[in-house]
Amino acid sequence: MKKLTVLCIVLVLLVPSLLFSAGAKESDQITIAFCFQDLETEFWVAGHKAITEELREQGIRVIEKNANEDANRQLEQVRDVITQGVDGIILIPQDGESAVTIAKTANEAGVPIGIFNRPPADRSAKNLVVVANNEVIAEAAVEHMAQEAMKLGRKVYPAIMVGDLGDPNAVGRRQGFMNVIAKYPDLWAHPPIEIPTKWDANVALANLQSAMQANPNIDFLFTSSDFLFPVIRSVLAPLGKWVKTGDPNHVILGGLDGDVTAARLLDEGYLDATGVQNLFYEADLMMEAMLEAIRTGDKTPDKWMEDPGFALTQANLDTHAQDMWGWVLYKEM
Amino acid sequence: MNTTPKKKKPVVDDTQHQGSGDSLAVQPNLGKRILMSEYFVLYLTILYIIVLTPIIPRLWHPMNIQNILSNLWPLLVVAIGQTFVLIIAGIDLSQTSVMAMSSVVGAVVMTRSVDPILFTKSPLWGVFLSEQGGLLSNSIFALPVGIVVMLLVGLFIGFLNGFSVAYFRMPPFIVTLVSMMLFSAMAIFLTKSENIRHLPEAYLEISKNQFFVVSGSLIIAIFVMVLAHILLSRTLFGKRLYAVGINATASQISGVPARRTTITAYMLSGMCASIAAILYSSRLEMGRPTLGSTIFIDIVGANIIGGISLAGGKGKVTWTLFGVFFFIILANSLNMLNLSFYIIDMVKGSVILVAALLDVARNRISREQM
Repeated sequence: MKKLTVLCIVLVLLVPSLLFSAGAKESDQITIAFCFQDLETEFWVAGHKAITEELREQGIRVIEKNANEDANRQLEQVRDVITQGVDGIILIPQDGESAVTIAKTANEAGVPIGIFNRPPADRSAKNLVVVANNEVIAEAAVEHMAQEAMKLGRKVYPAIMVGDLGDPNAVGRRQGFMNVIAKYPDLWAHPPIEIPTKWDANVALANLQSAMQANPNIDFLFTSSDFLFPVIRSVLAPLGKWVKTGDPNHVILGGLDGDVTAARLLDEGYLDATGVQNLFYEADLMMEAMLEAIRTGDKTPDKWMEDPGFALTQANLDTHAQDMWGWVLYKEM
Repeated sequence: MNTTPKKKKPVVDDTQHQGSGDSLAVQPNLGKRILMSEYFVLYLTILYIIVLTPIIPRLWHPMNIQNILSNLWPLLVVAIGQTFVLIIAGIDLSQTSVMAMSSVVGAVVMTRSVDPILFTKSPLWGVFLSEQGGLLSNSIFALPVGIVVMLLVGLFIGFLNGFSVAYFRMPPFIVTLVSMMLFSAMAIFLTKSENIRHLPEAYLEISKNQFFVVSGSLIIAIFVMVLAHILLSRTLFGKRLYAVGINATASQISGVPARRTTITAYMLSGMCASIAAILYSSRLEMGRPTLGSTIFIDIVGANIIGGISLAGGKGKVTWTLFGVFFFIILANSLNMLNLSFYIIDMVKGSVILVAALLDVARNRISREQM
């Protein structure tokens, strides 16, 4: 009985606080939540910086949420920011499937949501989507690699480091690679080796080591993301295969993202080509579309915007390098 | 963390294992009485809410209350499962892998369609999965069979854990660590790390609010909580759990079927993890091979905050509820304060540490007063 009395007193004390708080009014300043799955790669770090800095420069309040690669946590975070009354949400989802669930949550709450660079698995939710044409960009990079391979006058042993195939970006990049494989059937000594990475450097390291042991002749390697180049170097260097273009032991190397590491490797001559996502362009597209939706009161904007991207290669380095976001950051260092 | 003999009182003492400060022979001062109260965490939570309310105006927003409860139910269920194991001085690290396996297996049974591009490399393709969906896609039995299969997965993994601990006398930490690795990897292997979507609408409805905060998750969680409370406080099995937790050997000599009790505790833990998997995967609308992979610290942390002793022999379902409630309120408030992810985890870690230290202090005071 005594416990119950104490409990009742405490609960009664809570009521005024409750009444005081429930009707509190928030500021009129535009608030956008930027919910990202993690900042593991240079691409995401640069994307995060580009978006948050640009928004803040425009006087917009930015709430940042890092889900640490947990889709469930990201869903909870999105619900929390909706409760806080944000005007819009920019999301980098953990994967395409969770993007759909989270976008539907925002739709139900009437908060515009934009999915940045990692598209939803389907179009059942309404959202702004900015995505690179991964298939085309990857194909352009691998095409240059194939042209380099042809100059060798022999067949080559191809391999691809595949991303998490739950991510449509990884699917598109793999498809771009496969398009070139199909285009030049006589160039390959055997079907391409697919090395799973799950977008995880540790997984990539273990699987690349195994692949190189099982297939020591691999001399044509495409990574689905530039952030794996340090992993590739650590595996190829002990084998004497981490050498510059033109060396007989050079592994024809390509990637995709256009990050600072890729810029350095292109500059130093280790890398043949990388597909470039125009990060700053994508960030601008997303912010413009989001602010437009907020201004017009569109609670469920639905628009897919594509970044055509391009391939930066040893052949066009002099003319196109400045268009690559990683190159700009590399030269600023 | 094991069931080897300990120098503890072999007799099951209700007032000791249930931790009520009111029944102590010597009346301590107010500070100690509050500290020793089984409602200590609840008082702390209420105080925390009172302090936060003016700082976070939207704390009491109806939508935030829905969020808090939506986050609370699945964690409460899985934490209750862990409570059974902690009471017998064990630990179940495999709960996260049970959640992953359950969600995958359940989704394989229930899904209405899958993308062949993603799943043709899965070992399940052509046998359990096809473009038309899972084993029972579009069947009226998909939902009940899927849920039963999910529960069986939890019971099975729990049985393996309990059997290894009880009969081979293997340390629970190692047994459940291996289970965690094995079944997490298996969930990823079976799906090739892909998420399985297109689950039946009725399944997705479980986690949706039907009327304000009333949802299937709420009903399931309260059902589990009440059942667990009755099991622990009103049945012979409950008394046996405490006895095994205080001293497994002594309890066995006294006629308690310690091995059977241990196995049952782990099976209950596994089943609760499976039920939590139902709630989480319904909310996320998919079976995920990585479901729950990051929440183990939340599960154990909530138990420790609630006052469930890692040394065993002590714990109540209401304590778990208080611990989970505090943990969820803490996480929600830190999110609402818009602190960075790293700060949030540091605060959470610190709170768990303080709770563990408090447990030590409470045990010491309890011994001094006996």
